Amino acid sequence: MTAQPMSTGTVGIVLVSHSAELAAGAAHLAAQVSGGTVTIIAAGGTDDGELGTSAAKVERGLRLAESGLGVVVLPDLGSAVLTVRAVLEDEDPATNVVMADAPFVEGAVAATVTAAAGGDIKAVAAAAEEARNARKL
Amino acid sequence: MPASYEQQITLAGDLHARPAGALAVAAARFASAVSVTASGSTADAKSVLGVMGLGATSGQHITVSAAGPDAREAVAALIAILGQATKVGG
Repeated sequence: MTAQPMSTGTVGIVLVSHSAELAAGAAHLAAQVSGGTVTIIAAGGTDDGELGTSAAKVERGLRLAESGLGVVVLPDLGSAVLTVRAVLEDEDPATNVVMADAPFVEGAVAATVTAAAGGDIKAVAAAAEEARNARKL
Repeated sequence: MPASYEQQITLAGDLHARPAGALAVAAARFASAVSVTASGSTADAKSVLGVMGLGATSGQHITVSAAGPDAREAVAALIAILGQATKVGG
Protein backbone atom coordinates (compact mmCIF):
# COMPACT_ATOMS: atom_id res chain seq x y z
CA MET A 1 0.00 0.00 0.00
CA THR A 2 1.20 3.44 -0.82
CA ALA A 3 0.07 6.51 1.03
CA GLN A 4 0.29 9.66 -1.00
CA PRO A 5 0.96 12.92 0.88
CA MET A 6 -1.30 13.14 3.90
CA SER A 7 -3.78 15.91 4.21
CA THR A 8 -6.85 16.90 6.08
CA GLY A 9 -9.94 18.54 4.82
CA THR A 10 -10.79 16.52 1.74
CA VAL A 11 -12.67 13.35 0.98
CA GLY A 12 -10.23 10.42 0.90
CA ILE A 13 -9.82 7.93 -1.94
CA VAL A 14 -9.08 4.20 -1.78
CA LEU A 15 -8.08 2.40 -4.99
CA VAL A 16 -8.70 -1.33 -4.85
CA SER A 17 -7.03 -3.29 -7.63
CA HIS A 18 -6.09 -6.89 -8.25
CA SER A 19 -2.60 -5.58 -8.90
CA ALA A 20 -0.55 -3.73 -6.27
CA GLU A 21 1.36 -2.00 -9.06
CA LEU A 22 -1.82 -0.90 -10.82
CA ALA A 23 -3.30 0.53 -7.62
CA ALA A 24 -0.04 2.30 -6.75
CA GLY A 25 0.37 3.63 -10.27
CA ALA A 26 -3.18 4.95 -10.44
CA ALA A 27 -2.70 6.56 -7.01
CA HIS A 28 0.51 8.20 -8.19
CA LEU A 29 -1.11 9.52 -11.36
CA ALA A 30 -4.17 10.81 -9.51
CA ALA A 31 -1.96 12.52 -6.91
CA GLN A 32 0.10 14.22 -9.61
CA VAL A 33 -2.93 15.46 -11.53
CA SER A 34 -4.73 16.71 -8.43
CA GLY A 35 -1.75 18.47 -6.89
CA GLY A 36 -1.03 16.11 -4.00
CA THR A 37 -3.54 17.49 -1.51
CA VAL A 38 -5.80 14.45 -1.30
CA THR A 39 -5.09 11.28 0.67
CA ILE A 40 -5.14 8.44 -1.86
CA ILE A 41 -4.53 4.93 -0.56
CA ALA A 42 -3.57 2.13 -2.92
CA ALA A 43 -5.00 -1.21 -1.76
CA GLY A 44 -3.84 -3.62 -4.43
CA GLY A 45 -2.98 -7.29 -4.51
CA THR A 46 -3.44 -10.04 -1.95
CA ASP A 47 -1.84 -10.13 1.49
CA ASP A 48 1.04 -12.21 0.10
CA GLY A 49 1.59 -9.93 -2.88
CA GLU A 50 -0.17 -11.98 -5.53
CA LEU A 51 -2.78 -10.78 -8.01
CA GLY A 52 -6.09 -10.46 -6.20
CA THR A 53 -7.67 -8.35 -3.52
CA SER A 54 -7.37 -8.27 0.24
CA ALA A 55 -10.07 -7.36 2.74
CA ALA A 56 -7.34 -6.46 5.23
CA LYS A 57 -5.76 -4.01 2.79
CA VAL A 58 -9.13 -2.46 1.99
CA GLU A 59 -9.97 -2.09 5.69
CA ARG A 60 -6.63 -0.47 6.38
CA GLY A 61 -7.06 1.78 3.36
CA LEU A 62 -10.43 2.99 4.60
CA ARG A 63 -8.94 3.92 7.95
CA LEU A 64 -5.93 5.69 6.43
CA ALA A 65 -7.99 7.64 3.90
CA GLU A 66 -10.59 8.91 6.37
CA SER A 67 -9.96 12.47 7.48
CA GLY A 68 -13.48 13.22 8.65
CA LEU A 69 -15.24 13.89 5.35
CA GLY A 70 -15.69 10.33 4.17
CA VAL A 71 -14.01 8.01 1.70
CA VAL A 72 -14.78 7.03 -1.89
CA VAL A 73 -13.59 3.55 -2.89
CA LEU A 74 -12.92 2.56 -6.49
CA PRO A 75 -12.65 -1.17 -7.25
CA ASP A 76 -11.06 -2.29 -10.52
CA LEU A 77 -12.69 -5.54 -11.66
CA GLY A 78 -15.08 -8.25 -10.56
CA SER A 79 -14.08 -9.67 -7.23
CA ALA A 80 -12.59 -6.36 -6.07
CA VAL A 81 -16.22 -5.26 -5.81
CA LEU A 82 -17.05 -8.32 -3.69
CA THR A 83 -14.09 -7.69 -1.40
CA VAL A 84 -15.10 -4.06 -0.86
CA ARG A 85 -18.73 -5.06 -0.25
CA ALA A 86 -17.66 -7.65 2.32
CA VAL A 87 -15.55 -5.06 4.13
CA LEU A 88 -18.32 -2.48 4.09
CA GLU A 89 -20.79 -4.98 5.53
CA ASP A 90 -18.53 -5.37 8.56
CA GLU A 91 -17.97 -1.64 8.99
CA ASP A 92 -19.72 0.50 11.55
CA PRO A 93 -22.94 1.71 9.84
CA ALA A 94 -21.90 5.26 10.71
CA THR A 95 -18.82 4.93 8.51
CA ASN A 96 -19.02 7.38 5.65
CA VAL A 97 -17.85 5.28 2.71
CA VAL A 98 -19.18 5.11 -0.85
CA MET A 99 -18.10 2.60 -3.49
CA ALA A 100 -18.11 4.21 -6.93
CA ASP A 101 -19.05 2.28 -10.08
CA ALA A 102 -16.47 3.85 -12.34
CA PRO A 103 -13.65 3.19 -14.79
CA PHE A 104 -10.57 2.71 -12.62
CA VAL A 105 -8.02 5.16 -14.00
CA GLU A 106 -10.38 7.87 -15.23
CA GLY A 107 -12.51 7.54 -12.12
CA ALA A 108 -9.49 7.80 -9.83
CA VAL A 109 -8.30 10.97 -11.57
CA ALA A 110 -11.74 12.62 -11.73
CA ALA A 111 -12.61 11.70 -8.13
CA THR A 112 -9.30 12.95 -6.78
CA VAL A 113 -9.48 16.26 -8.63
CA THR A 114 -13.01 16.78 -7.33
CA ALA A 115 -11.85 15.98 -3.80
CA ALA A 116 -8.94 18.41 -4.20
CA ALA A 117 -11.41 21.08 -5.24
CA GLY A 118 -13.32 20.58 -2.00
CA GLY A 119 -16.13 18.38 -3.28
CA ASP A 120 -18.14 16.41 -0.72
CA ILE A 121 -18.40 12.62 -0.77
CA LYS A 122 -21.41 12.68 -3.09
CA ALA A 123 -19.69 15.01 -5.54
CA VAL A 124 -16.50 12.93 -5.49
CA ALA A 125 -18.38 9.68 -6.11
CA ALA A 126 -20.43 11.33 -8.86
CA ALA A 127 -17.27 12.63 -10.55
CA ALA A 128 -15.87 9.10 -10.57
CA GLU A 129 -19.06 7.66 -12.03
CA GLU A 130 -19.40 10.39 -14.65
CA ALA A 131 -15.91 9.48 -15.87
CA ARG A 132 -17.47 6.68 -17.90
CA ASN A 133 -18.99 9.35 -20.15
CA ALA A 134 -15.69 11.00 -20.99
CA ARG A 135 -14.63 10.05 -24.49
CA LYS A 136 -10.97 9.61 -25.28
CA LEU A 137 -11.21 9.93 -29.04
CA MET B 1 -26.35 40.17 -12.40
CA PRO B 2 -24.76 37.23 -14.19
CA ALA B 3 -22.22 38.16 -16.78
CA SER B 4 -20.13 36.33 -19.28
CA TYR B 5 -16.52 36.88 -20.18
CA GLU B 6 -13.95 35.22 -22.32
CA GLN B 7 -10.27 35.58 -22.94
CA GLN B 8 -7.77 33.88 -25.18
CA ILE B 9 -4.24 32.70 -24.48
CA THR B 10 -1.61 31.02 -26.61
CA LEU B 11 -0.25 27.97 -24.83
CA ALA B 12 3.46 28.08 -24.01
CA GLY B 13 3.47 24.31 -23.49
CA ASP B 14 1.22 21.30 -23.84
CA LEU B 15 -1.88 21.07 -21.69
CA HIS B 16 -0.81 17.84 -19.98
CA ALA B 17 -2.34 16.02 -17.05
CA ARG B 18 -0.96 18.21 -14.28
CA PRO B 19 -1.98 21.59 -15.70
CA ALA B 20 -5.35 20.10 -16.65
CA GLY B 21 -5.79 19.03 -13.03
CA ALA B 22 -4.76 22.45 -11.73
CA LEU B 23 -7.24 24.05 -14.12
CA ALA B 24 -10.12 21.82 -13.02
CA VAL B 25 -9.38 22.30 -9.31
CA ALA B 26 -9.31 26.08 -9.78
CA ALA B 27 -12.42 26.15 -11.97
CA ALA B 28 -14.41 24.24 -9.36
CA ARG B 29 -13.97 27.11 -6.90
CA PHE B 30 -16.18 29.37 -9.00
CA ALA B 31 -19.95 29.40 -9.20
CA SER B 32 -19.88 30.34 -12.87
CA ALA B 33 -20.02 27.82 -15.68
CA VAL B 34 -16.52 27.79 -17.14
CA SER B 35 -15.40 26.24 -20.40
CA VAL B 36 -12.19 25.86 -22.32
CA THR B 37 -12.10 25.77 -26.12
CA ALA B 38 -9.21 24.59 -28.26
CA SER B 39 -9.33 23.97 -32.02
CA GLY B 40 -13.11 23.95 -32.08
CA SER B 41 -13.52 21.51 -29.20
CA THR B 42 -14.99 22.76 -25.96
CA ALA B 43 -14.69 21.16 -22.53
CA ASP B 44 -16.17 21.96 -19.15
CA ALA B 45 -13.18 23.46 -17.31
CA LYS B 46 -14.37 21.76 -14.10
CA SER B 47 -13.97 18.33 -15.71
CA VAL B 48 -10.34 17.22 -15.63
CA LEU B 49 -11.06 14.41 -18.07
CA GLY B 50 -12.74 16.85 -20.44
CA VAL B 51 -9.81 19.26 -20.29
CA MET B 52 -7.30 16.46 -20.80
CA GLY B 53 -9.40 15.21 -23.68
CA LEU B 54 -8.89 18.47 -25.57
CA GLY B 55 -5.32 17.39 -26.25
CA ALA B 56 -4.28 21.04 -26.45
CA THR B 57 -0.64 21.55 -27.35
CA SER B 58 1.98 24.25 -27.28
CA GLY B 59 1.23 27.17 -29.57
CA GLN B 60 -2.50 26.53 -29.70
CA HIS B 61 -4.92 29.31 -28.96
CA ILE B 62 -7.15 28.49 -26.02
CA THR B 63 -10.30 30.40 -25.17
CA VAL B 64 -11.55 30.43 -21.59
CA SER B 65 -15.21 31.40 -21.29
CA ALA B 66 -17.28 31.85 -18.16
CA ALA B 67 -20.87 32.76 -17.47
CA GLY B 68 -22.16 33.52 -14.02
CA PRO B 69 -21.75 35.75 -10.99
CA ASP B 70 -17.96 35.38 -10.77
CA ALA B 71 -17.25 34.96 -14.48
CA ARG B 72 -14.60 37.67 -14.64
CA GLU B 73 -12.61 36.25 -11.72
CA ALA B 74 -12.93 32.72 -13.07
CA VAL B 75 -11.55 33.67 -16.47
CA ALA B 76 -8.68 35.62 -14.90
CA ALA B 77 -7.75 32.72 -12.61
CA LEU B 78 -7.81 30.13 -15.36
CA ILE B 79 -5.86 32.25 -17.81
CA ALA B 80 -3.21 32.72 -15.11
CA ILE B 81 -3.00 28.96 -14.57
CA LEU B 82 -2.79 28.26 -18.29
CA GLY B 83 -0.02 30.84 -18.55
CA GLN B 84 2.02 29.35 -15.71
CA ALA B 85 1.28 25.65 -15.59
CA THR B 86 1.93 24.91 -19.22
CA LYS B 87 5.40 26.44 -19.04
CA VAL B 88 6.69 23.64 -16.86
CA GLY B 89 4.88 20.90 -18.75
CA GLY B 90 3.45 18.00 -16.91
